[in-house]
Amino acid sequence: MSDIDIELISVRKTYGNALVVGDISLSIPKGEFVSLLGPSGCGKTTTLNMIAGFQQPTGGEIRIRGRNQAGVPPEKRNIGLVFQNYALFPHMTVAENVAFGLRMKGAPRAEIDQTVNTALKSVHLEGFEAHYPKELSGGQQQRTALARAIAPRPSVLLLDEPLSNLDLKLREAMRVELKEIQQQLAMTFVYVTHDQEEAMAMSDRVVVMSGGVIAQEDKPENIYNAPRTSFVADFIGKSNILPVSAVRATGDQREITINHSNISLAVGSDQAGPPAARFCCIRPEDVRIIGGEAFAEGANVLDGTISKIVNLGAHLDLWVTVDRDITIKALVRSSRSDQLKTGNHVSISIAPAAIRLLHE
Amino acid sequence: MNRLLSGLFWISLCLILAFITLPLLVVVAASLSPSSMVTFSPADWTMKWYAALWASKWLDPFILSVKIAVIVSLVSGVLGALGAYAVAYEKCPGSEAIMAFLLSPLAVPQIVKGVAIVLFLSSAGLYTLLGTPGLIAGHIVLTLPFAARMIATSIYNFDKNLDRAAQILGASKWQRVRHILLPLIKPGLFSGMTFAFIISFNNIPLSVFLVRPGQTTLPITVINYMEYSLDPVLAAVNVASLIFILTTIFLFEKLGGFSAQIHGGSK
Repeated sequence: MSDIDIELISVRKTYGNALVVGDISLSIPKGEFVSLLGPSGCGKTTTLNMIAGFQQPTGGEIRIRGRNQAGVPPEKRNIGLVFQNYALFPHMTVAENVAFGLRMKGAPRAEIDQTVNTALKSVHLEGFEAHYPKELSGGQQQRTALARAIAPRPSVLLLDEPLSNLDLKLREAMRVELKEIQQQLAMTFVYVTHDQEEAMAMSDRVVVMSGGVIAQEDKPENIYNAPRTSFVADFIGKSNILPVSAVRATGDQREITINHSNISLAVGSDQAGPPAARFCCIRPEDVRIIGGEAFAEGANVLDGTISKIVNLGAHLDLWVTVDRDITIKALVRSSRSDQLKTGNHVSISIAPAAIRLLHE
Repeated sequence: MNRLLSGLFWISLCLILAFITLPLLVVVAASLSPSSMVTFSPADWTMKWYAALWASKWLDPFILSVKIAVIVSLVSGVLGALGAYAVAYEKCPGSEAIMAFLLSPLAVPQIVKGVAIVLFLSSAGLYTLLGTPGLIAGHIVLTLPFAARMIATSIYNFDKNLDRAAQILGASKWQRVRHILLPLIKPGLFSGMTFAFIISFNNIPLSVFLVRPGQTTLPITVINYMEYSLDPVLAAVNVASLIFILTTIFLFEKLGGFSAQIHGGSK
């Protein structure tokens, strides 16, 4: 069991009657980058705080490196934490901030100096040792906070939406850098975020949370390609989620009927779809707009009208109304914008394999 | 309209400043006056009244006042910080009631407090405590609300995430208080202690009940002297006290950096 760093066993947290986290079980192997992803109020921050020891679980058990942490205060857990607002000590310089953890542990001076140098180098902040936090930009403060958290060499680093206060460009650059730092240190990262792109870009594993429970836990590509619930499908990326009224199986073929419509769609036989599927999910990039006769053999073809076009720069978001109440969103390259106008009649094709059946 | 308003603003500001400073200028002028009558004749200004201050008649009360103010300031700082910590930081049970209790002396007029303390000491047979011990205790009652309130305010403004950050970095409770909390509330602590010092040093209404012959504070000595004579030495005492207090504020500010707190920034 030594290669499991963090283990949550039926952890729950309630405030009075309100359930914040309900029976979460999770094990995080050493060196893995795991994201807790979910909308605000899904319990991800509470889970992080319980791992850090700032909040006590109402039930269940948290183990760090195999040891039950009940009653162990945060200062004894040997965990690093990067705060959303960084929480840098305003009365200390960058170097003093980074040295703080080792200084409190009474490490010798030479070791502290060397560690501070290494930590600052790994976050590319050499030369800022003597600056005070308020003299730094948001990105530099972020790096200082990261250096401070990794300097004492914790076995696990928790990150609480650390990039949410940065602007978009910097955020994207920091994603790459964070991942590199994590791989360099071979440290276990538990990353809390509501930003699905962030989670997708960095994680080895994504834990999608909703309403205090785990909705799905998998590799990022599986979360995207094979969402298990309509919540996950909707939350991760863009998707068309349509209600399904019936599933018929004829031999190898499966066919579904969309609720309140005459639309029937063939579904790939590869997925052992839930027998009582209630929704199906189609990613907009899997929906093709076809001009004339050129479409793939066996694909579902629907006729519709373009009801709305949203220009996203490189791509167009196309809303195609295929039945009275049913609109399917498609993502197409903007180079086709000349041929596509609101009100145009178009045909769309959807490969059976691109349709995922969801049971909730 | 805007110009009119800003004109009015500057005129009223100047009037207020004049209202505050002109009496002081009169006192400064009086302290330099050559004859024992208080006159205004800049050509004959002299420092002789200041020289007269260098006598035990004035020095002894001054030293006593400083001694009391220093002790009162230190005790108010320590007690105020402990009280404010329990109330504002730990939010101990009944913290609001405790804060109200700490502030309650503000509601009692100083003269009432003075009479009450004297009556208490006499009925308890503790007459001997009048003088320095009584003055110190009485002044602490007076200054503690200010110190506690100011320190509590700076603790309320303290970002608790900083404490958590230090905690997860392995700092024990005592290390967090010493390295994080105390340095960050230092401005509040020092401004509370400065207030305590000044209130104690200048106090008359309460001290009047608590002094005894041979143990008289400077303001009471001035009042007593004034009953018999009104010569420029009084003005000189006041100017000297003023300079002393301004110097004290300056020193506390250097140590504590509390103007940052007043201006709403941090150093």
